[in-house]
Amino acid sequence: MRALKPGLVRAVVGAAIGAVIGAGSLILAGIVGMEITDGEILGLGYLLALIGFLFGIGAFRFWLTWAVGREVNIEEEHAAHGTAGDWRRYFLFTTDHKVIGVQYLATAFTLFLVAGSAAMLMRFELAQPGLVLGKEAYNEIFSTHGAMMITVALISIVGGLGNYLVPIMIGARDMAFPKTNALSYWLLPLPILLVAINPLLGGFDSGWTAYPPLSQQANLGQQAYLMAFVTVGVASILSAINFLVTVFRMRASGMSLMRMPIFVWALTVTSVLGLVATSVVAGAFTMLLFDRVLGTSFFRASRGGDVILFQHLFWFYSHPAVYIMGLPGLGAILEIVPVFARKPLFAYPLAVLSFISIGVLSFMVWAHHMFVSGMATFFHIPIMFTTELISVPTGIVFLSALGTIWMGRLHFKVPMLWVFGFIWAFLIGGITGVFLADVPTDLTLHDTYFVVAHFHYTIVGGAIFGLFAGTYYWFPKITGRMYSERLGKLHFWWFTLAFNATFLPMFWLGIEGMRRRVADYSPQLGGVNLWVSFAAFNIFLSVAVFVFNIVRSWRRGPQAEANPWRAQTLEWQTASPPPIQNFDHIPTVSSGPYEYGGGLGVPAEGRATP
Amino acid sequence: MTPPRRHLWIAAAIWAVLSIVGAVLVAGIQIIPVIASREAGIENSAFVLLAVLSVPVLMFVVVGLAYSAIWFRANGDEADGPPIHGHRGFQAAWLGISFALVIGLFAYGAAGLVDIRGAQTADFEVQVSAEQWAWHFTYPSTGATSKELHIPVGQRVHIVINSDDVIHSFWVPAFGIKQDAVPGRTTEIYVTATVAGTYPGLCAELCGFGHTNMRFTTVVSNRAALKAWLRKQKPGSEGSQPPPSGSESAS
Repeated sequence: MRALKPGLVRAVVGAAIGAVIGAGSLILAGIVGMEITDGEILGLGYLLALIGFLFGIGAFRFWLTWAVGREVNIEEEHAAHGTAGDWRRYFLFTTDHKVIGVQYLATAFTLFLVAGSAAMLMRFELAQPGLVLGKEAYNEIFSTHGAMMITVALISIVGGLGNYLVPIMIGARDMAFPKTNALSYWLLPLPILLVAINPLLGGFDSGWTAYPPLSQQANLGQQAYLMAFVTVGVASILSAINFLVTVFRMRASGMSLMRMPIFVWALTVTSVLGLVATSVVAGAFTMLLFDRVLGTSFFRASRGGDVILFQHLFWFYSHPAVYIMGLPGLGAILEIVPVFARKPLFAYPLAVLSFISIGVLSFMVWAHHMFVSGMATFFHIPIMFTTELISVPTGIVFLSALGTIWMGRLHFKVPMLWVFGFIWAFLIGGITGVFLADVPTDLTLHDTYFVVAHFHYTIVGGAIFGLFAGTYYWFPKITGRMYSERLGKLHFWWFTLAFNATFLPMFWLGIEGMRRRVADYSPQLGGVNLWVSFAAFNIFLSVAVFVFNIVRSWRRGPQAEANPWRAQTLEWQTASPPPIQNFDHIPTVSSGPYEYGGGLGVPAEGRATP
Repeated sequence: MTPPRRHLWIAAAIWAVLSIVGAVLVAGIQIIPVIASREAGIENSAFVLLAVLSVPVLMFVVVGLAYSAIWFRANGDEADGPPIHGHRGFQAAWLGISFALVIGLFAYGAAGLVDIRGAQTADFEVQVSAEQWAWHFTYPSTGATSKELHIPVGQRVHIVINSDDVIHSFWVPAFGIKQDAVPGRTTEIYVTATVAGTYPGLCAELCGFGHTNMRFTTVVSNRAALKAWLRKQKPGSEGSQPPPSGSESAS
């Protein structure tokens, strides 16, 4: 039984066995004369491979031992937390939320590089008018780029920084359901791999939005994407439940809701969105899968289905998903501002309220993606209103950030630079969003590069700037070492200038009529596109500086103190990196998280009594 | 040390100057590059108005950030800033102004939408049929068909749109109108062309690898020229030609 210990090797073997049983049995059935399609073979093969992978990695070990009536070795389960300093624990099924957080971060950054490479291929094709890679290849590359970057934006801050920090920030020893937490991470590698290898299955060319009927006629790679998306959806639902229970049930004594760090609030609202909305898109994608594989006709117009219905279901998730990507970034930014401005977070209760309002409103704006889809004209009116209304709570985030910065004592360390970059990028994203919310202007801007520029400003601005800010800010906590300030500044300035040089001209391209998702364009737009490609290549290079800084600092950076930023939230009141149980003694909380300037006469260290 | 109120006044003055200069600069430009219809005209005014309004918003945040970055640096000072948790008047004003902006924008946008989509009457009708990857136009008045879109100048045209296979989107940038062609549904849009001429039309919704080149030409001419052109088109003549690469669908 113990010949192969649970781990990656056994997981790969398990996945292979599952794939062979699933695909093999259907292939056999085909040989004996049953009508079997490639889609069915891929579907069953993937499903069993996923189960085999999870068994192999050890995801069900605890529950199985318990179910067959054998004694559960609690000690051994806790040993799975891993001993400090051993890198192999990051490749195991471990229940320590800090290990899982790092696993998410590493996965997200790896995926970021792969999807970034896809973007480089896109800009290579678009650098000059005419075709280099070809239209088919281009459609497959941008679809893969979109699918992967959406995953990065969804999992990086929530799964990575959220997992690592939320339990520590509220004074808990772990998440509420540590094994489910590990399960939701280990659900990810196989679907991510499936999207990465989808060119081998013929690729998929319908974009990450997968609108039918185009997605119904696309290659087998399309089915791979749909299955991968549903799996990632299941993982996010599990993780959302876990966050909610953790936040509401595991807070240390004295940590009232209105004393929670704003980052925890952001993750809480995000989790509600993830829990409620994800099931809708998982349902829509499953219906689409059934249409493709099992011959149903939910979205087949020729057989009574409705193609617009898919768009409603898809955006009912995918617009809240924009906030699942954005809110954690906003939370991270508002978490960092008070520390480097040495002032309390301005209008904290209003900021909390704004997060909740964004969450509620995000469910009422989905159809602004469909202003030209042919839905009823009257429906444009309420959707235009709610979409513009959501700018009020989003604006409060700017109020909080600016109010905190004003009259502060600003320390321009790397995280604070990213805060400034974030505010600029998200501001441009927000302002240009108004042009798309307004139906008259959207009629001309819809499906042009204006939209591409807008959502890169909001999602890169919201999620990726927030991710970089948070990664630098919490790096000493997570690794116990300090990153290089000089390389960090180089990364910031290079990335930010290149990012703006790439995406600002795209607004102009969109107004000039350059459509999204085309491999070729009018020759007179060639000059600006060449510039954009050049700038985009610089984004990629600047990220190389980041990777170098992180890897080198983690291995050889100077030791970091427990609280290098003199911050007041709980994660800084324990060692760097924190011990396995996070705190030697669970602290009692006696004041709010941002009492800078001695608002209550509490010195920074005295806030949490160990 | 500059007193706090002084900082506010200086920053506000810089903001006011930059906002006014910016708004004046933006107000003068035509944003939509080619305007050849009443609808595109409405959209361009909306575009300009939104751009003018966004200047003070943009400048507020930019001036706030830049001013702080210059004047509120710690410069090695380890002391904390003032323990200000909020300011009731400022927060209320912020909320009030953003609500007012939203209501104003919504009212203006709704009026523009009604203006563009409102009157469901037309002097001329064209039926558009999209397929992978070609456009076909039928003129019910004569039964003629064509691969170019021909419409009269100065008249309200009703465009009825269908698709045979996947979703496409009918877009003539100079008209400022865009409408998806949806299989299983009929969609429609109205346009009043104001300037005679020839304009490019495009598919704006990803529809497979032929999407990039799914274009058509729009010709706007006076009624007499249009009638002459229509007479020359044999009914159904276009349909008898072999369809372009479209029929070899990717599935």
